[in-house]
Amino acid sequence: MKIDATQLEDLALGSVFLATGGGGDPHVPLLIAKQVLSKLGPVNVIAPENLDDDALVVAIGGVGAPTVSLELLPSVDDAARTLEAFEQQVGRKVDAVASFEIGGGNSLIPLVAAAGQGVPVIDGDGMGRALPEAQMMSYAIAGVKPTPAVAYDYAGNITAFSTKSTDVYERHIRSLAMVSGGMITTAEHPMSGKELKNSVIPGTLSFSIELGRTLRENRGCSDELLAPLQAVFENSIYGECRNLFTGKVTDKATRITGGYDVGEATIEPFDGNGPALNISIKNEYLLATLDGSVIASVPDLIIIVDYETSMPINAERLRYGQRVAVFAVGCPNFYRSAKALKVVGPRCFGFELDYVPLEEV
Amino acid sequence: MRIGIDVGGTHTDAVILSGDEVIAATKALTSSDVVSGITEALDTLMKDGGVKQSQIDKVMIGTTQFTNAIIERRELSPVAAVRIGLPSGQGLPPMIDWPEDIASAIGRHHYLLHGGYLYDGWPVADMDDREIDAMIGELLASKVKNVAIAAAFSPMNADPEKYVAEKILKAIPDAKITLSHNFGRLGIMERENAAILNTTLLPFAEKVISSFLQALTNRGLTCPVYISQNDGTLMSADFVSAYPALTFASGPTNSLRGAYKLTGLKDAIVVDIGGTTSDIGVLQGGFPRESNTVIEIGGVRTNFRMPDILAIGLGGGSIVSSDGHVIGPQSVGHRLVNEGLVFGGGTLTTTDIIVASGVADIGDASNVGHVQKSVVEQAVTRMHQMLDQNIEMMKPGGKAMPVILVGGGSVLVTGGLQAASAIHRPENAGVANAIGAAIAQIGGESERLVSYREVPRDDAIAKVKQAATQRAVKAGADPATIRTVDIEETTVPYMDESTTRVRVKVIGEIA
Repeated sequence: MKIDATQLEDLALGSVFLATGGGGDPHVPLLIAKQVLSKLGPVNVIAPENLDDDALVVAIGGVGAPTVSLELLPSVDDAARTLEAFEQQVGRKVDAVASFEIGGGNSLIPLVAAAGQGVPVIDGDGMGRALPEAQMMSYAIAGVKPTPAVAYDYAGNITAFSTKSTDVYERHIRSLAMVSGGMITTAEHPMSGKELKNSVIPGTLSFSIELGRTLRENRGCSDELLAPLQAVFENSIYGECRNLFTGKVTDKATRITGGYDVGEATIEPFDGNGPALNISIKNEYLLATLDGSVIASVPDLIIIVDYETSMPINAERLRYGQRVAVFAVGCPNFYRSAKALKVVGPRCFGFELDYVPLEEV
Repeated sequence: MRIGIDVGGTHTDAVILSGDEVIAATKALTSSDVVSGITEALDTLMKDGGVKQSQIDKVMIGTTQFTNAIIERRELSPVAAVRIGLPSGQGLPPMIDWPEDIASAIGRHHYLLHGGYLYDGWPVADMDDREIDAMIGELLASKVKNVAIAAAFSPMNADPEKYVAEKILKAIPDAKITLSHNFGRLGIMERENAAILNTTLLPFAEKVISSFLQALTNRGLTCPVYISQNDGTLMSADFVSAYPALTFASGPTNSLRGAYKLTGLKDAIVVDIGGTTSDIGVLQGGFPRESNTVIEIGGVRTNFRMPDILAIGLGGGSIVSSDGHVIGPQSVGHRLVNEGLVFGGGTLTTTDIIVASGVADIGDASNVGHVQKSVVEQAVTRMHQMLDQNIEMMKPGGKAMPVILVGGGSVLVTGGLQAASAIHRPENAGVANAIGAAIAQIGGESERLVSYREVPRDDAIAKVKQAATQRAVKAGADPATIRTVDIEETTVPYMDESTTRVRVKVIGEIA
């Protein structure tokens, strides 16, 4: 399978849906990916199972505050230069690149790096959605070490990392991002083909394109959206898809705390009859609460779309007065293990409750 | 007394207001030279109102001329877009995501320079005088004199934009320059787009504004003239010559503000029913509720704030299915007077349904005698359902609210609406835009980056408010009537958590 420039819009659209409110606006990464793939041609996509066990794979993407990159634009060759710097650091070529997270702009950066350096990209990612921190990646959860890793900034400065713990590595790259204008590109969590097969959320790259196409073909009122969404999620690694609520945003308050956009949104039914839905936000939509009971929680996916166009809405763009529909999708099974829930369950985001799978609510 | 004029694409409307009272109102066709349309409207107005020139204190004009120019790709001048932000953003030149037709109408003249700042005040790169001089050399050779300049984080530090502008003006004294920081807000691509759209209109703006002034002078009106902008406040005619893009949303804003003035309702739903669509907007405290999505003007992403308008395919020309179940979104539009059944045409429209229901007397009612009663009833029910459902969506809360109907298509509403606590059909609703322009106020805005750790929050906000008030008063507002309409606090991510960008907006009556 190959991905060419004409499939990128669908990929970006699907990735905003899977980003569950986080991941940043993929507009600029999409512009870059379109330019690079138009110029250098399509990128080869390789299914994890077709990779040699001793192949070298590295995960690549952006780290930092997406709001900052609204002002400090990336350059088209940042991703390829990052990969090149990584190869120099480890003294060999990589055999494939993988994505941190399929949600948001980070779904596109590996494609840009792969096109620039002429390597294939893995069909899969390390989250199956968007999540805020490196230790929440499936690679880290499965025991892949974060380094050797390199970071590349807007001015071409290269920083190399060597540390065993992903928690410590996460702190280091965060502080580097802070003094580098808020956004850096990293190549990290290098792994063998065998390690990748054990840790990747498979098939999400091709799935995101299919999801994006479904959303594009079903533009219009979201009352019509549930059936096509269920059809596309049915044969995927994801669980059940539900329409949780439809209404208008009557309140949204968030503030930046420790680099995260934290707060709540309230959505009331259009006719005002019946209880309101409450959404807890920390960059992503994490909890949906109706009448005091949680009806969906992280790591299951909570998605808010515009009621009139069915286009997904990022948390930073969700505002008072918007007419919306809220959907929930069961997360891939990988994230339902006790080991995974220890790093991505509701308690990891400061909520005093246990995860209940969507199907059991 | 004051005159309000709305110069739209098709019609030029005008009103004379004495205090709250409408003395005279008129509608004329917009002429291609703009001037004669305005003078014609003024002549009718002064005659109907029996008013002398000397009794008029001020004239307010709202116009969609600039929005239409962008949408129709006409009257656009070549622009050189200069971005200061290298080494970031290489390979992402200005206008990269613009529709091809407008980009080529403006010409893809762009320059990337080193400089600008990071969010924390650290320079992205040192500015390079030789690089700037080389760019100016190319500008001189290309003869492009309209320049838009945008620098990374210029809303927080505008020095790089100002520095380059000064150098350009030294070499090209008659250059027309827009600096992006005047369009506020973070997001360099959208801010830069706003600056480029503004710049491409500068020569046309001079022409339009001088036609406005010419038309007024021709009729002996020498009082102050103001132009209404996006947020429903006014700017001087001189100011618009430099910032025509600030009028982009003045059409819907004036319509909503006019509906407020005509009814006195500060919180209401306004439904403007035209030939093809019903545009539903929300008044909150007498001002339009703003939309929060990315606003595209003529296919270009911008950071402008616009009223939140929901347009549905229901108007006086909407086509009705033969069983009355489906209405619109197709419409015969302005061809209603040829194609509607009551006008001897062959298409069943919503207007025909209303005539057939016996409520309205338009055209020849005998042409719709054959339409079955059940079809008429079904269509009437469907139209009211469409409005009800969509008003329900726009309403701020669950409770029924007053609904103000304006526009020629408002005859379609013959029954009650469940979402409405009351339905208002103000007199003079046809000239709501001109009235909205006539009642506009003067605004002032100021912003600065403050640390709440160093200055207490209340003191910091008071300081910014004072600066905004000074601007409003300087622009002509009465200091006694100034009130704060918006305080925006943006915490800057990843910085010291008490660092906040504070922006205050005030408005007041004209002194």
